[in-house]
Amino acid sequence: MSIADGQWRSLDPRVVVLRRIGGVIVTTVLAAGALVSLLVATLTGDLPLVTASGLAGLWAAGAAALGWVAWRWPAIDYRHQSYCVDARGIEIRRGVVWREVVNVPRSRIQHTDVAQGPLERRYGLGTLVVYTAGSDHARVSLGGLPHDVALRIREHLLPAGAPGDGGAV
Amino acid sequence: MQSELRLHPLSILFGLSKSLKQFALPLLAFVIFGRPSVGPSEAFGGTAGVLETWLTLLIVPAALHSVARYLSYRIEYLDSEMIIRSGLLFRNERHVPYARIQNVEAVRNVFHRMTGMVEIRVETASGREPEAVITVVPLAALDDMRRHVAVRGGTGAGDAATDAAAVLPAATPPAPPAETLLHLPLRDLLLVGFIENRGLVIIGTIYGVLWELGPMARFWSRVFDEGSYGSGMVRDTLQQLSAGLWPAPERLAVIAAGVLGLLLFVRLVSMAWAVVTLHDFRLERRGGDLRSEYGLLTRVASSIPLARIQTVTVRQTVLHRLTGRASVRVETAGGVAPGGQGATVERQWVAPLLRASELPAFLARLIPGIGLEGLAWQGVHPRAFRRAVKPALFLACLFTAGLALVIGTRSLLFLPLLGGAASYAAWRGVKHLGWAADDDVVAFRSGWLSRALTLTPTVRIQVVSCRQSPFDRRTRMARVRVDTAGAGALSHRIDIPYLPHEIAVRLQSHLAERAAATAFKW
Repeated sequence: MSIADGQWRSLDPRVVVLRRIGGVIVTTVLAAGALVSLLVATLTGDLPLVTASGLAGLWAAGAAALGWVAWRWPAIDYRHQSYCVDARGIEIRRGVVWREVVNVPRSRIQHTDVAQGPLERRYGLGTLVVYTAGSDHARVSLGGLPHDVALRIREHLLPAGAPGDGGAV
Repeated sequence: MQSELRLHPLSILFGLSKSLKQFALPLLAFVIFGRPSVGPSEAFGGTAGVLETWLTLLIVPAALHSVARYLSYRIEYLDSEMIIRSGLLFRNERHVPYARIQNVEAVRNVFHRMTGMVEIRVETASGREPEAVITVVPLAALDDMRRHVAVRGGTGAGDAATDAAAVLPAATPPAPPAETLLHLPLRDLLLVGFIENRGLVIIGTIYGVLWELGPMARFWSRVFDEGSYGSGMVRDTLQQLSAGLWPAPERLAVIAAGVLGLLLFVRLVSMAWAVVTLHDFRLERRGGDLRSEYGLLTRVASSIPLARIQTVTVRQTVLHRLTGRASVRVETAGGVAPGGQGATVERQWVAPLLRASELPAFLARLIPGIGLEGLAWQGVHPRAFRRAVKPALFLACLFTAGLALVIGTRSLLFLPLLGGAASYAAWRGVKHLGWAADDDVVAFRSGWLSRALTLTPTVRIQVVSCRQSPFDRRTRMARVRVDTAGAGALSHRIDIPYLPHEIAVRLQSHLAERAAATAFKW
């Protein structure tokens, strides 16, 4: 099954788990930081107990809301992301509220990267980054691909995108 | 052609003056606003003045740096690239392939011309600064460099009659015929200055400085006997207006005269600026290069390979349209031109002023195959006005709210007026939105009072994106944006709003296909 068949494909569902983990980490760090500063302020006596308990309630509500968003958002975002590779290039659809379809022709690709963070390595995923000579789309990235799929897409895209006699950047 | 280039001894002086120019403004500010503690008479044998200390601290390192640069800077011409070596302590070796050189620019101010020197700037596609700024070399070295780049870089298609690879250093290729595309006489330069209206910032700054130093207040109080013409005059007048009183006619006359006087003065300065900066503006097409030359005191000779031009933008403000003119700018990859300020913008001008009727012919000669005729212009969604009017009305309300802070609830009287004006502006703006796309070029025009039209050959398209905001999704519209190389943040792009969604999808598909079918060459 060729990857460049012009079919619209979703990302690997494991990317939802990945992004959830990331979201939970961020939420935990932020909530812990806020809690620590709140505790310090209360214990050193700068903050009266009444205000402190009010703020603690606020903190709890905020942390819960942030945690809920960090849990729910990746699944929603996942449903709205897809990509399509064909002979002409790669097209990426993303965005939930603000939606975008980005089309990168094969002949405009300067070079590509396949990157893997530690979490991605554990789940066997990778991020494909495509570099063009454009200005605001100089770097187009597609994360949440299975690692071997990312490599296959890169192989498909790169040979025709190789620099011509004008010289590469 | 020699194979190595070294700086001329005079570059020590030129380099020093360049470094000092960077300190000139802070130094000037210090002199004007600061308080020199000790006079210059105590400089030697006594306690040195603060000013002398600062001067020494600035001049000595600058002079040393200049001498070091003269001793160490050299350029070696190889077959396919040039190697720039510089630095004594911190050595740097930079390889610049000829094929990647986009622009070889020559700058000569009064001193350069008196001494027969030139400052050369070499630019490639990458980065925002020139790869090499060569201060200074004799004029002959400029021709030398241009020949090296042209012969081995292969930028000019018509440059070498024989096989470029076989041309040896000893042979010089025949000069291709030059076709003058544009020449601006004095009258046109004055018109450029009048239309462009540069210098508002500078004049405002100078006025502010003078005010700060005191002479302006004394001047005004001497011209008018009453003290009520001071700085609170405008605010007082507005408050009087809002209280329902009609201010004295003399005051109105003074305010009106002041505003008109300022506008007129700024225009005069702008016209003087245009004459000096763009003197004898000449644009030639030589083979595959565009050569532009301009300037009275500082003469700039710039060359842009046609193949590097990414987009062409035609601008027309109200004054342009009143006088039947337009201005044309190009964007080249690597020469990012910021919105409207700064010296880099002038260097990207191909036509500061052009008759609107000559525009199609000019564009056709500029980039063959790309022209204004034969473009089938299409409009945007019929309901675009309903969308565009909402932000306009919102702005009008915001402005009224701001006005209310100054003159109270009376500002509500202005609301219908502002709202009406905003809606009219939105309507005209939407009416003027248009786009066209065929096999070779995509075009987009926008604006009502100040109009802009951008042409992008499809071979220069990098990435095409189709976006939908939540409002777009509700009304089934979309926005198509074409990304090119070297586009500035504030430049007018192919960014078409309020397209019907199906048409947007088809346009994106068409543009992507045309881009995919062509190879992109720098």
